[in-house]
Amino acid sequence: MPDLKRILHVEDDPSIQAVAKVALEAVGGFTVLSCSCGQDALDQVQGFAPDFILLDVMMPGMDGPQTLQELGRMVDITQIPVAFMTAKVQPNEIEHYRSLGARDVIIKPFDPMQLATQIRAIWSQSRG
Amino acid sequence: MDKRQQQMADLQAHLQQLGEQFSQRLREELPQLADKALQLQACADPSEQLQRLTELRDHLHKLAGSAGTFGFSDLGARARLLEQQTQQWLSSLELQRQGLQGLVNELQQLASVEQVSQASVAPVLKTPSVGANRDGAYRVYILEDELKVGDVIRLTLNTFGYQASHFLTTAALDAALVEQLPDALIIDVNLGDSQQTGLDYAAALQKRLEHSLPLLVLTTQNDFYTQLQAARIGAMGFFSKPVDVAKLENRLERCFNQQSGEPYRVLIVDDDRELSSRYRLVLSGANMLVEVVNDPLQLFDAMARFHPEVLVLDVNMPGCSGPELAQVVRFNDDWLRVPIIYLSAETDIALQMSVLIRAGDDFVTKPISDNSLIATVFARAQRARLLSNALSRDSLTGLLKHADIKEQVAIEQERALRSGKPASVVMLDIDHFKKVNDTHGHAVGDNVIRALANLLRQRLRRVDSLGRYGGEEFMAVLPDCNGEQAVSILDEIRQQFSSISFAGEQSDFHVSLSAGIASSHERTADELMEMADRALYAAKNNGRNQVRLADD
Repeated sequence: MPDLKRILHVEDDPSIQAVAKVALEAVGGFTVLSCSCGQDALDQVQGFAPDFILLDVMMPGMDGPQTLQELGRMVDITQIPVAFMTAKVQPNEIEHYRSLGARDVIIKPFDPMQLATQIRAIWSQSRG
Repeated sequence: MDKRQQQMADLQAHLQQLGEQFSQRLREELPQLADKALQLQACADPSEQLQRLTELRDHLHKLAGSAGTFGFSDLGARARLLEQQTQQWLSSLELQRQGLQGLVNELQQLASVEQVSQASVAPVLKTPSVGANRDGAYRVYILEDELKVGDVIRLTLNTFGYQASHFLTTAALDAALVEQLPDALIIDVNLGDSQQTGLDYAAALQKRLEHSLPLLVLTTQNDFYTQLQAARIGAMGFFSKPVDVAKLENRLERCFNQQSGEPYRVLIVDDDRELSSRYRLVLSGANMLVEVVNDPLQLFDAMARFHPEVLVLDVNMPGCSGPELAQVVRFNDDWLRVPIIYLSAETDIALQMSVLIRAGDDFVTKPISDNSLIATVFARAQRARLLSNALSRDSLTGLLKHADIKEQVAIEQERALRSGKPASVVMLDIDHFKKVNDTHGHAVGDNVIRALANLLRQRLRRVDSLGRYGGEEFMAVLPDCNGEQAVSILDEIRQQFSSISFAGEQSDFHVSLSAGIASSHERTADELMEMADRALYAAKNNGRNQVRLADD
């Protein structure tokens, strides 16, 4: 079973992108590739070979769920856990995202110091 | 500190830096949001309304998600509420006019309050910024493929006290960026024959950098589309060639000064002593400099002494009402730039409107919440200062204009009278300037004036104020500086100026200057200026090319 090392982060907001990268690299010790849109992620996913994918829900153009669907055609998302990130917190929405194939949802705003721990938790559950 | 602790400190510093950039972004984004709401309010077409409302909701959604991560939890929570409100309208497909006004108000308030309270940064973002320990000079990188143009900008910025470097190619700039990041970038977007390369490069560069840098764009194309593209890659200034370097420098200074300006000066006129001292407390708490006048008759004295940037007037006062007072203030052109805000218990919109049409700019209605008072005053003060700066600069030199340097002298002399520390006033004139114009033409004459302006800016301190008083006449005021010190500074400048070699029509030439200085902590500003003028006259009569101190 592979270890959690490489995270693909898809997020159109440059501030959030930057803070997540810093937090995941410095606190979690991960290698992070930041993509600013769904298409960017599709272009890079095979070359980068992530262990984990973190997807923003609301993005211009291809949104998070659409990106997830397209990613599913290119890589085996049963082996690569995917988590959504969103500011929406309705319980039924979390269920909805799970039904699309996401393992969990990370709620925005997030605490940069806790983000790595949250992702590790989702990772180990999905390995469970 | 062990390695782990060091890593954590670095991380904190990094997060802090990101938080500062985010707050910088908020200062641009929040007013945009408020504008979007206003546009929605003004829009009558239902399908366009729907589209604008959707955009607004999406923007609020983003803000609700991001603000808290950078410690602006209150802002995030408020954005979330507003997002829910817009979502409700979207679901019911019914826009409520009254609710919309509330939304507009709330967003306008966010836009101005957040700027005031940006210090309240997140628990994780406490460590002081890593960028703080600099040597004072801002580092600026210039990408310009024309050697001469780049050189002129670099040299001029260096004389203004920047640490500027010029690169001819993107490869050279890339190499420098690896070594050290600058504080700002100036990029010519028309590199080589292509019109697009520079823009593409700048866009890719901004993306590649972890946090985008203040960017000024130079171009030979002044069209709307190029400007739009520049705005999209986050440019903070757009300059068509040939570049006016003084303007370029002004814009750079504005980029850097946004956070570190002097506090706004606010004058409150209200006969209610208790209320007015409460307002003073609230506004002082938001880092503004506040004076209170309880008797309307004292207003002129206070204005002349305190030079407020915003005037806050109570509407109902015995003897003289706020609107009457405002009309009298507006008789005086010197105070045209000072916005007037009324404090009023009046909720009758029609009456407020009729008052605003006569004189005044805004209303805050009693009972006044601290936030709405701060927001209204802050927004007006900010706009007034920006406009005032833009209006008060001489286009050739970027220095203050006649009336504004005189006002600055008055402000500094007022400070000197209070503190007992003398200020020095300098009147300075280029010798035989008419001959330069006659022999070499006005363009060369302009170069001489610009060169002296640059030299003065470079040699004087940041606290000193400098203006172009007339054609070839300059005036400066040096706070906390006695006559002897001022003479020695100016004499050094005189020698340097006379050593500059100017390129004339036929041959190179040199120019000298004369200066008169007056210094005191007891005299009025007008007296000081007159004394300095007389000293200058004496210097001219005594053979020119010299600095003279006025006899007290």
